[in-house]
Amino acid sequence: MSEIKKIIKGCLAGNRRDQELLYRRHAAKLYAVCLQYSGNDDEARDILQEGFIKIFENLDHYKHEGSFEGWIRRITVNTALEKFRSRHNLYRVDDIDMIQEPDAEPDNQDYAGLEANDLLGIIRELPTKYRMVFNLYAIEGYSHKEISKMVNISEGTSKSNLSRARVILQRRVGSYTGIKKRVANE
Amino acid sequence: MNEKGANIDLVFRNGLKDFEVLPPPEVWDGIRPFVKIRPRPFIFLRVAAVITVLLTVSFFTYRWSRELSTGPAGSVFAFNMEASSPVISQPDNNPQNLPTIKYNQIKNSPDVLTDVVDPTTTLPEIETIAIPEEVIYIQETKSLSITKNETLRGPFLTSLNTSQGNSIKIKEPDLQYFPENITTKPKNRWSIAALASPTYYSSFNSGSDGLSKQLMESEQPLFSYSGGVAFSYKISKRFSIQSGLYYSALGQKVEGINSFSGFKPYDNTKGVDNFKVLTINGTIHTSNPDVFLIADGSDRILTDFTNDVIDPKKASLQPINSSLNQNFSYLELPVVLRYKIVDKTIGINLIGGLSYNLLVNNLVYTTLDGNRYPIGDTKGLKPLSLSSSLGMGMEYNLSSKLSLNLEPTFRYYLNPFSVTTGSYIHPYSFGIFSGLSYKF
Repeated sequence: MSEIKKIIKGCLAGNRRDQELLYRRHAAKLYAVCLQYSGNDDEARDILQEGFIKIFENLDHYKHEGSFEGWIRRITVNTALEKFRSRHNLYRVDDIDMIQEPDAEPDNQDYAGLEANDLLGIIRELPTKYRMVFNLYAIEGYSHKEISKMVNISEGTSKSNLSRARVILQRRVGSYTGIKKRVANE
Repeated sequence: MNEKGANIDLVFRNGLKDFEVLPPPEVWDGIRPFVKIRPRPFIFLRVAAVITVLLTVSFFTYRWSRELSTGPAGSVFAFNMEASSPVISQPDNNPQNLPTIKYNQIKNSPDVLTDVVDPTTTLPEIETIAIPEEVIYIQETKSLSITKNETLRGPFLTSLNTSQGNSIKIKEPDLQYFPENITTKPKNRWSIAALASPTYYSSFNSGSDGLSKQLMESEQPLFSYSGGVAFSYKISKRFSIQSGLYYSALGQKVEGINSFSGFKPYDNTKGVDNFKVLTINGTIHTSNPDVFLIADGSDRILTDFTNDVIDPKKASLQPINSSLNQNFSYLELPVVLRYKIVDKTIGINLIGGLSYNLLVNNLVYTTLDGNRYPIGDTKGLKPLSLSSSLGMGMEYNLSSKLSLNLEPTFRYYLNPFSVTTGSYIHPYSFGIFSGLSYKF
């Protein structure tokens, strides 16, 4: 029996040490996902916590047929989506439309010098809906059809949000790399 | 735009791949210890439950049909005076044309993990788990977020195609939408149970006449049983209502009634109601023309063929037995209310309700060498009776769907089976029902 199987078995048996071991192994990676989907750290912590509770509750549904890491990531993303859907009413629909759309810049930029933490910071500054659509499409690989069902928007809105998110990201990345280069030259 | 969009997508996808941030310690503290109370659904137990239900239904159907087939209309024993030995008679509407078989013939008949884990890695003790250096580093560089615009450290993305040395993948095939299957399904309130029990059957006498007391003293309960299928609907967390279909067989032995065979040649009344025997549950009427009954020191038999008219010894009648067995079978339609007193792994219910009982079989017989010898039936029985039941049910949850039930139940028949003797005899029974319950 593989190590992960033993840990899962221990978790299902109520072994707190195995549960903590499972958490310690995957929490850092999943917390990064939570930060990616949330607008603030408190929300990210909540998503991680709720996500792990669901993981423990549904461990017996894991069939050992696919990547365990992929399975727990999907649960975490779904938890983030549930959070988004539950708080969706808190965001005014026109908040997004009121955001001034930056002009698209030619994509001949040099992205060198950007590290993961920089990218995370940039992505978290996106408006919530843009962030959701961009994460689901560009990072997770869902189609617009799937995203429309997950976020409860139309496919057209999904495409539009993605397009706007890309434009914002390109501009931010561009300005960020410029700052970095200047800092490096100084 | 599509190509530019794809490039920015790849920057983030590859840049955030395998990215880790150590969560604050309080997150783990907020995750309660998880205990899975029940194991995975047991397919074998489900199958077992279905089999149990089918077996129960089949068993009682078989018993019912068997008892019906051995009723007064079935084969009977008879003694052929000319052959001077007992013979078996086949059913025949004309008692005069009963074919015979030799007595000796009758006597002898009778249930690709792809997670990358270094196999050489040993599990450290929880208390001594080392925080990976990479994670500490990332947390330190968190201050480099663009919003804070502070100093920059650490490895940068050098180019699009060589970032982190990983190949670019547009989609990860295992990342599919994992929709609502995490959410819990609404509970179904219905459940089905198969229960059976041996029962002790007896009667309360509400009268004080001597005959009733005399009759009761000579009547002993026979092995009785009850069982069937019940459906219950959960009204609230603690209350549920249950109904179903049960089959119960009750019986008693009437002592002090000697039976003989070979009486047919002396029967001039075509064998109808030659003998009437008073019992607390009604009057037994003989329908077997070959049987002769005589009471052992009592006057509970009503007949024209008294000992003065025919002496069984002198008439060379063959003794059969000194007791009669009364069997009553009922189809029961219970309406029972359950109140759950304890709702844990072992639950305790208080059970009470009413049951309509339809008389479906009524047979009186005696035994000859282990075989049934039909006598007749009991007249005066009410075809429909009402009984009340009170019990304490114990429920052991084998899983969330399947439970083992044990229900000691007392049943009191509200209206007497009959009022033949002038006294109101209220039968009662006690049984410990056991069986399986399946929640949908």
